[in-house]
Amino acid sequence: MNYELVCGIETHIELATKTKIFCGCTTEFGGAPNTHCCPVCTGQPGSLPILNRKVVEYAVRAGLAVNCTINNNSHMDRKNYVYPDLPKAYQISQFDEPVCENGYIELDSGKRIGITRIHIEEDAGKLVHENGTTYIDYNRGGVPLIEIVSEPDISSPEEAREYAEKLQLIMRYVGISDCKMQEGSMRCDVNLSLRPVGTKEFGTRTETKNINSLSNIVKAMNREIERQEDILESGGKIVQATMRYDANTDEIYPMRTKENSDDYRYFPDPDILRFYIEPEFVEKTKSSLPELPSAKLRRYIDEFKLPETTARDIYKYRRVSEFLDKAVAMGASVKNTANMIIGGIYKTLETEEDKENFAIKTSAEQLSELIRLIDEKKINKNKGQEALAKMLDTGKAVSEFIKAEDTQGMSDDELRAICEAAVSANPDAVSNIRAGKGKAINVIFGYIMRETRGKADMGKVNKIINELIG
Amino acid sequence: MALSKEDFNKLAVLSRLRFSDEEAEKFRNEMDDIIAFADTINNAVSGGTDDIKNTSIDAVGFRELREDEVRESLPNEKILSNVEGHKGFFNVRRCVG
Amino acid sequence: MKELLTTLSTKLKNREISSVELTNEYIKAIEAENEKINAYVHTTFDYAIECAKRADDMLKAGDASPLCGIPMALKDNICSDGHLTTCCSKILDGFRPYYDSTVWTKLKREGAVLLGKNNMDEFAMGSTSESSCYGAPKNPRNTAHVTGGSSGGGAAAVAANMAAYTLGSDTGGSIRQPASYCGVVGLKPTYGAVSRYGLIAYGSSLDQIGPITNSVRDASLVFDAIKGVDINDQTSVDHEYGNITSQLTGDIKGLKIGVAEEYFEGIDKETKESVERALAFYEANGAELVSVKLPILKDSLPVYYIIACAEASSNLGRYDGIRYGYRAGDYTDIDDMIYKTRSEGFGKEVQHRIILGTYVLSSGYYDAYYKKACLLRNDIIRKFDEVFDVCDVLIAPNAPTTAPTLGYSSKSAVEMYMSDICTVPVNIAGLPGISIPCGKDKDGMPIGMQILGRKFAEKTILNTAYFYELNNKNVIGEYEGGVNL
Repeated sequence: MNYELVCGIETHIELATKTKIFCGCTTEFGGAPNTHCCPVCTGQPGSLPILNRKVVEYAVRAGLAVNCTINNNSHMDRKNYVYPDLPKAYQISQFDEPVCENGYIELDSGKRIGITRIHIEEDAGKLVHENGTTYIDYNRGGVPLIEIVSEPDISSPEEAREYAEKLQLIMRYVGISDCKMQEGSMRCDVNLSLRPVGTKEFGTRTETKNINSLSNIVKAMNREIERQEDILESGGKIVQATMRYDANTDEIYPMRTKENSDDYRYFPDPDILRFYIEPEFVEKTKSSLPELPSAKLRRYIDEFKLPETTARDIYKYRRVSEFLDKAVAMGASVKNTANMIIGGIYKTLETEEDKENFAIKTSAEQLSELIRLIDEKKINKNKGQEALAKMLDTGKAVSEFIKAEDTQGMSDDELRAICEAAVSANPDAVSNIRAGKGKAINVIFGYIMRETRGKADMGKVNKIINELIG
Repeated sequence: MALSKEDFNKLAVLSRLRFSDEEAEKFRNEMDDIIAFADTINNAVSGGTDDIKNTSIDAVGFRELREDEVRESLPNEKILSNVEGHKGFFNVRRCVG
Repeated sequence: MKELLTTLSTKLKNREISSVELTNEYIKAIEAENEKINAYVHTTFDYAIECAKRADDMLKAGDASPLCGIPMALKDNICSDGHLTTCCSKILDGFRPYYDSTVWTKLKREGAVLLGKNNMDEFAMGSTSESSCYGAPKNPRNTAHVTGGSSGGGAAAVAANMAAYTLGSDTGGSIRQPASYCGVVGLKPTYGAVSRYGLIAYGSSLDQIGPITNSVRDASLVFDAIKGVDINDQTSVDHEYGNITSQLTGDIKGLKIGVAEEYFEGIDKETKESVERALAFYEANGAELVSVKLPILKDSLPVYYIIACAEASSNLGRYDGIRYGYRAGDYTDIDDMIYKTRSEGFGKEVQHRIILGTYVLSSGYYDAYYKKACLLRNDIIRKFDEVFDVCDVLIAPNAPTTAPTLGYSSKSAVEMYMSDICTVPVNIAGLPGISIPCGKDKDGMPIGMQILGRKFAEKTILNTAYFYELNNKNVIGEYEGGVNL
């Protein structure tokens, strides 16, 4: 039988606020165990949560960026469950009045993946099990999260990957999180079921938790689809379960189930007042959103006339695209800037993460200055590349590497004189050229480059030599 | 409405409480009285209002929420002052025997 | 009734006695009386002397507050940095919080002297303080009787002159009822008037800290010191009260006192008559009695127990033996440890309420119980609003009876819950209420009445109570033991 996939994704994203969601402890990653803690985030008896406004602001930003409606009235609920990483035995989350609802993300195909809701909640601490002892660190406890819940609109692992990638990029663009899947600041849980093609009813679904890279989304889903197909083919039934994907072995297996898996007894947290998000604030946030990835890509292709692959190579890193836009705004040409980034800067940034972080030693101002020299043909591209390499290496200004005489240019008469000298100094090459051996021209060019220390405009040289040799 | 044994057990698990059979039976009987008492809510003079959200908790303006400013965390010794910690961690050791 | 705090403050300011001397008097009294009364479960005498020395410095420097140098105590569910705070539960055995509650921060700043922590019902769940893991406190008026609860130790400490005042917490009457049983004054402030930060939660939307004192003026002085909005408690409210104590006049001319007959149903004859006599006294002195209807009162009990237990079941989930308090000694794994810790650490009444709370929140029952209770709560709030449109205060009995004898309350849970009928409505609606003595029964046990007001009407209810106190000295009579200066 042929099956079709029904899939929705729940994405947890750690927000880049300075402090935790309910206390003033830092959200910084790492730190010695239990040093970013206070009575509130360790659930001391008598402590009370105080909601961080920035968390609500970021959630609104996230929601607007994926076309959600913002609920002006919202509140926090308690989700009750017992686990040692949860110091209050309840997670403060949102149940029936999330900050955002009803959005979508559009895939390249034009298909929209619906977003059911985005709510705010607190992260749990971390457990380490060693030789039968459980060690607990609450540094991460209380770090603010948004949970983005998609509709079951995804129908292939590739769509799932694209959805997650787009979501990641959008959230990075609006600046609410670095969304690093490896570090856990973005985590995807994939809900997946199969049904015979053409049927309407949903099959029993499983949830694959905490997938830690985009490519693993595809791999994990493929394993789970195979597993479910095998069961269905052999006449078995899918059991609702939480699955875990092991990237090292490329295997998927069910996680140990907890006794009380499914009754969270949500109720409004009496310690936190309901809050009202003014429509004016929502409007203000909307107008303060930066250009979103899809619009940026369209602009790069339509207005900047960049080839699509180049445009994509740049837009998928927020900082790079900002760098390009800035250099261009300061007068550099799009084409030369894009080429310098991909042909020059990217050579020094090996990994995806390096490109994402884009921690380079030069600035858009400096790059734009360099590129203007190229644009105005005061130096040629080779010279430009050399200078860029040195700028990236040392962090020094363009002027350190391009001397005044390099950029003075050369009058047409001076250039003609050097060309004439080249012709008369290389009679053999001239006759070879005249005999149709085109490659011999390189001897002439070499002479000219040496004489001009590389700053000759080769277009002009070509023209003069043609005239001289005929 | 009487509480079935299964229901009672489920509540005990959710509450992380364990009872001996005898205790559970006694407790379950007492619970029946208490539930009957809670059920009197259904004979309330008032029908209640339809919106749980309006008055049960006051609303606060968004601007009145806490600013995102770091407050110093407490030293690890304080955080662990009520337990025997291990290298800065809370820990639960496996019991031997 | 004696205006103890003003008297002590004057003596301290005039240097007739130093805070250290006064503190030592109280320490002696506690050492002498506590075996009999069991009002204290933890004492902090060394710290008290430290506080007293600091207070003496402040007094010497002049400009000290009226509470400076005066020894007091906190209920065993109010945190102070480094001091045992155990909610009288085995599960918090040995627990020393590492931060101060906001009320203690405020009092400490004023120069208060902390003597220790007072006995109470385990996690404040009860009406007699008999569920304390340290054994019940005894009523100083007659030690065969209970103190009431849950702030029983705090009421007993004040009644037996073992503290100049104490702070209790009131979730469903836990300040007012023991104050009434012990013949002292107890103020339950408006929800949000006093920060809950550092109060170990029972029912978060109902809990409120308040003073237990010898007199109305004393209650007002303490309330003035602890009230106010707090950045650590989002549910605290920024209300402009001003200094209430300086506004107490005892003038009740034209005051409209609401009397709801529902409050007097099922009340003991002696109690009922005593409160009625007080009402007549008010009327004779220029107040106007207004008859009002509050049929929603009888709905309050199930609404209260459903909401309080639901919140408690969630609030008490954190006691898992991992971060503080008791941890079971023998277990197979972490899950087993949590089960054993909780089953061994919580007393039966607490376990009852956790199970009930879990039940009313669980799927399938949420709408029928918890949600319904919340809807009714809104209705109760609205009905009280309507009543306070036609009167300034309500006056009612505090409890159906005077303090029962010890052990009497080990009747059925439901019967026990019913005895809270007079006190819980105010908590549901978040209103302020004060309990003051208004008589004695034939056995000499105190009878109290409560004066209730609309939100933030503490000044009105305190002034109404102040009038009665000014004109009815020594309703209960002096206690022989303890500190008598």
